[in-house]
Amino acid sequence: MLRRDRRAGLPTVAAASPAYHGAVSATDQPLIEAAGLTKRFGGVTALNDVTADVTSPALGLLGANGAGKSTFMKAMLGLVKPDAGQVRVLGMDAAHQAREIRRSLGYMPENMCLPLGMTARDFIVHMGELRGLPRRIAVLRASEVLFQVGLEEERSRLIRTFSVGMRQRTNLAQAIVHSPSLVILDEPTNGLDPAGREEMLTLVRRLSAELEIAVIMSSHVLEDIVRTCDAVVVLREGRVAASRTLADATGASEREARVVISGDTAAFVARLQTAGLTASMRDDHVLVSGPDADTMLRAVRDAAAETDAGLHELRPAGPTLEDALIGDLT
Amino acid sequence: MIEGKVHDVRFHRYDGPRSGRAAALWSMTRWSALRALGARRGWKAKIIPIALTLTAFFPALVVLGLRALFPSSINDNLESVLPYSDYAGIVGLVILVFAVVVTPELLCPDRRDGTLALYFATAISRTDYVLGKVLAALLPLLLVTVVPLAILYAGNVLFATHPLGYVQEHTHDIVRILAAGTAMALYFAFVGLAIASLTGRRAFAIGGYLAFLIVPTIVGGILSNNIEHGDNFRLIAFAAVPIHVAESLYPVTPDVRDPSNTAWVMSWLALIAVSALVLVWRFRGDES
Repeated sequence: MLRRDRRAGLPTVAAASPAYHGAVSATDQPLIEAAGLTKRFGGVTALNDVTADVTSPALGLLGANGAGKSTFMKAMLGLVKPDAGQVRVLGMDAAHQAREIRRSLGYMPENMCLPLGMTARDFIVHMGELRGLPRRIAVLRASEVLFQVGLEEERSRLIRTFSVGMRQRTNLAQAIVHSPSLVILDEPTNGLDPAGREEMLTLVRRLSAELEIAVIMSSHVLEDIVRTCDAVVVLREGRVAASRTLADATGASEREARVVISGDTAAFVARLQTAGLTASMRDDHVLVSGPDADTMLRAVRDAAAETDAGLHELRPAGPTLEDALIGDLT
Repeated sequence: MIEGKVHDVRFHRYDGPRSGRAAALWSMTRWSALRALGARRGWKAKIIPIALTLTAFFPALVVLGLRALFPSSINDNLESVLPYSDYAGIVGLVILVFAVVVTPELLCPDRRDGTLALYFATAISRTDYVLGKVLAALLPLLLVTVVPLAILYAGNVLFATHPLGYVQEHTHDIVRILAAGTAMALYFAFVGLAIASLTGRRAFAIGGYLAFLIVPTIVGGILSNNIEHGDNFRLIAFAAVPIHVAESLYPVTPDVRDPSNTAWVMSWLALIAVSALVLVWRFRGDES
């Protein structure tokens, strides 16, 4: 769990599983604290009494288009003023200390915003300087972040000549050049082809897992959140529909498995029972119970091999993460 | 078999000192001015600003060069060959074209590429952005409005029979050169930026700027020549306003048909004020 150490002013990384929503001790400072946040645009309520404390190193904002994800992010940056409630970022009030927040945070907007006539290196150096890095440091860090996003070789090329994927990676590089504790990514995989999306998701995961930069990422794609985040806030029509760690989001049991096979199902079940597991035939699958996941996995593998059954599906029984989050979204 | 792990991920946290608002503003100024002059861009982007800059220097360099090559043919008093007061009028068109080329480049790409939104969302306030761009417009313009005259002045000092005596007698010309050059640069910077702020298309900004300077100048000339007591129509010669203001700073006798120096200065001030208002209007927004 990534929290800020008040004495040193630096983020520290603990190995504990990510905690979220109210699990902050007295000495820890949440990255984001939103309380009763409400924002209306004319007759449309974009955010409706949103309350959330973010301490997770990688939080996903999940919701359909128009659910309020971007408005929530803009409220964090002080770009929209809430009609009610408040949001604090790294302990600073977004309504009154927006300038400090914007210089401290990294932000990758959803839309393309890169100067096409500049080289990637010049642009990243420039953005570093604008956020307070001395020129020499900005030049050094530009090289580092361009290496991190895989654009080291292309650093001297004009951004105009980049593919969409390379532009998105440049956009990510500008967001982290000034060494922020927290970076906000608004739909970072938008418009990317499958290969570009894969690269971007890997990069986003690395930010929190290796580079010690906390991430808040919005997406309407469930898989993006599952692959990159530890916790999720599900927004629906401007309200928080759910907030949970991904580890808690699934109701699947480690002691029960759902197995789908082709072949002699009765012999397969009998073999599992002989191995000491509880196994029963259901409509289209076999439900297996055992002391732990490893024992069940070995027994299922051996039973399938010995009965010459084809193994089509093996997963924890009960609702999956996807089942749980789709339930929150709808 | 030897096993190993690479622990250096080539990424370090930066926890050192961070510079403040002034440094960010200077960064905006510096990068913008360099881009406008074609620095770190292809040769096509460089060639026009460089050619225009050299052209603005040309009269001063020619006169000084001739004086160096043919000292006996040119009067010792170089100032009479190329008076400081005439320089703005001689290279006025070059400065105008330079401004038309450079100032749209400062604003239009940011709006066209969406970078403006990124700046405001992350790094810099609207006020700082506009201040940075005004400074970025002024610096290249001062290069063509002040530096050629500064070189001419330095040449006059070097070629004077008594250099120190020349400096003592012409100290006031240093002030005039600086003031006249700054007046021209301010005018072209504000007006150019105001027009460029209205569009994200550089071609439209260049066309609009040219039209704004040239059409009223032609109309003003026609009206003042064809209407009895219509001399004040010359005040709408927007291309000539900064040149007249620059010349008014020197002790020369103006054309009797021209409006007064005060009228030119008022026209200059009004146009700069309107341009500043346009910039404020175009970049207005929440400053928090």
